[in-house]
Amino acid sequence: MKISFSVLITIIVIAIILGMNSFFTVDETEQVIITQFGKPVGEPITEPGLKFKIPFIQTVNYFPKNLLEWDGDPGQIPTLDKTYIWVDTFARWRIVDPLKFFRTVNNEMGAQRKLDDILDPAVRNFITSYHLIEVVRNSNRPMDTMEVGLEQIGKKAPIAEVKTGREKITRMILAQARPKVEAFGIEIVDIRIKRINYVEEVRKAVYERMIQERKQIAEKFRSEGMGESKKIEGEKEKELKRISSEAYRKAQEIKGKADAEAVRICAEAFSQDPEFYSFVKTLDVYKTTFDENTWLMLSTDSDFFKYLKGYSNVQN
Amino acid sequence: MPWDDFKGSRGEQPPSVDDILKNIRNFFRGGSIVLLIFFLIILGFWLTSCVYTVGVNEVGMVQRFGRYVRQTTSGLHFKLPKGIEKVTKVKVDYVYTEEFGFRTIRAGKRTEYAPSRAFLDESLMLTGDLNCAVVPWIVQFRISDPYKFLFKVRNVRETLRDLSEAIMRQVVGDRSINEVINKRKEIADMARVELQKALDEAETGLSIKTVELKRTNVPEPVQPSFNEVNQAIQEKEQMIYKAKKAYNQAIPAARGEAEKMIRAAEGYALDRINRAKGDTHRFLAIYEEYKKAKDVTRRRLYLEAMQQVLPKIKTKYIIDHKQKTILPLLNLQKLEVKE
Repeated sequence: MKISFSVLITIIVIAIILGMNSFFTVDETEQVIITQFGKPVGEPITEPGLKFKIPFIQTVNYFPKNLLEWDGDPGQIPTLDKTYIWVDTFARWRIVDPLKFFRTVNNEMGAQRKLDDILDPAVRNFITSYHLIEVVRNSNRPMDTMEVGLEQIGKKAPIAEVKTGREKITRMILAQARPKVEAFGIEIVDIRIKRINYVEEVRKAVYERMIQERKQIAEKFRSEGMGESKKIEGEKEKELKRISSEAYRKAQEIKGKADAEAVRICAEAFSQDPEFYSFVKTLDVYKTTFDENTWLMLSTDSDFFKYLKGYSNVQN
Repeated sequence: MPWDDFKGSRGEQPPSVDDILKNIRNFFRGGSIVLLIFFLIILGFWLTSCVYTVGVNEVGMVQRFGRYVRQTTSGLHFKLPKGIEKVTKVKVDYVYTEEFGFRTIRAGKRTEYAPSRAFLDESLMLTGDLNCAVVPWIVQFRISDPYKFLFKVRNVRETLRDLSEAIMRQVVGDRSINEVINKRKEIADMARVELQKALDEAETGLSIKTVELKRTNVPEPVQPSFNEVNQAIQEKEQMIYKAKKAYNQAIPAARGEAEKMIRAAEGYALDRINRAKGDTHRFLAIYEEYKKAKDVTRRRLYLEAMQQVLPKIKTKYIIDHKQKTILPLLNLQKLEVKE
């Protein structure tokens, strides 16, 4: 009884061990190749679920099925215009043919190395054969550079037109690299430039240039302000002159008119008897012009003194 | 970090062969009652893995033998025990934030940030006019498709970060340094659209809520010169205002002055005309009377005038008209002294 029970247990244990070695699960994110003594057997399993294999003889090799990343080795690359830039790229890839993948690169580490060998030089080749601006910009979108109005003075080298652009360059890198990795059962989904920058030494020069550029813009604003204020000042002067001269003109007109009117009034009145007018006016003038400092020499034959010599009615 | 609880534990280890062998040895040595209890305990533990709860903003993704079978919402749920079914909880409504170019150490009223210089590599980028700009930003997102999120991409977080950096640089690369500093909203909006497109293409299962640019700037060594430009703009405006002020000070005053001049002229005109009228009226009045008795009036007017004039004059010489020379009469010495 006891023996048979232990035999039963032994059988169960053996069955469990066998079962555990013959059943295996494949995750949603995995794909599997079964090998028999190192040689792949059958089609690769890409569907997830519970799977079966011959225990002990066959082994299971798991490969990721989902999207994987590749991070480029960031490095200095000179562009076509001999500017050293620092480029960091990344790509995303997946294993599309696990059998090929298993045969050629064996595992993910090997794949990363292969990708390094293919993608890094591809990136380098393309960057070195384009101007920096082509790598930085994507389109010829007009930019607000605060330099409106500067064109007339000292023509600054305009920023070159972009013929290719970043997106196209990365697409070209991708197109070049894709067929090369096909042999490894790999598909590169996408490659992008993550970071791009001037190298440390160039950066200093660029900063200096930026500073000078800003200073020049600042000067432009200052002189614009100066010009504008001078213009207003001139406007002021002009306005002042205009106002005062207009006022003068108006005043003179008014005065002239009044003078003319006065002359007319007087002439009208006095022309009735000019002789009498001059008589009366002369007497008025005597009254106002003579004072105590005046010396007067009078002749006795004037009308005033005619009685000084006698009272007879002398008529001369 | 919220990332740590992104994906639950996966791939449980089956009981090792050693354990089983030990069990067998125990069986032969000890009593079967102890063994039975031992098995029951193990069975009990195993069965507890049939129950699980899903949090309020989570979903449970259930896989049977690795294959995805169902999605459960928040609450208490049953599944087949460990080894057969596996659940991974994903926070679907939670809004995650990724920071670029800076790191928040401790959020709060006064949020502390890690020194941004340490993350300058992330935020330093080239603008379209080949200048350098420092652009820190954040991306807020949530997991909108837990299936894609779990199974389609291996390292979702890295993918998001890489794509975000690449796209931000692409957007900034097409803009001038001025635009990068002044038009942050526009850049953020464009980056959001582009990033969402890239994330969808990569099947990350993420949806972007916002992309927000923090304070964009130029690299530190260049900052003073940028401030100088701002200052120059201020100076310019100030100069214009000053000139306008002088203008506004002078012109109304001048207008008043002009008005005064015209009024004065008008006064002069009134004066002239009134005087002329007065003079003529006086003259005419006298003339009316004079016409009636010309000779007498003439004499009278003359004498009256003389009566007024002559007393005022201190020095008078009356000379006979026959006297030919007047010189001896003049007291010239006195005159000289006077002068």
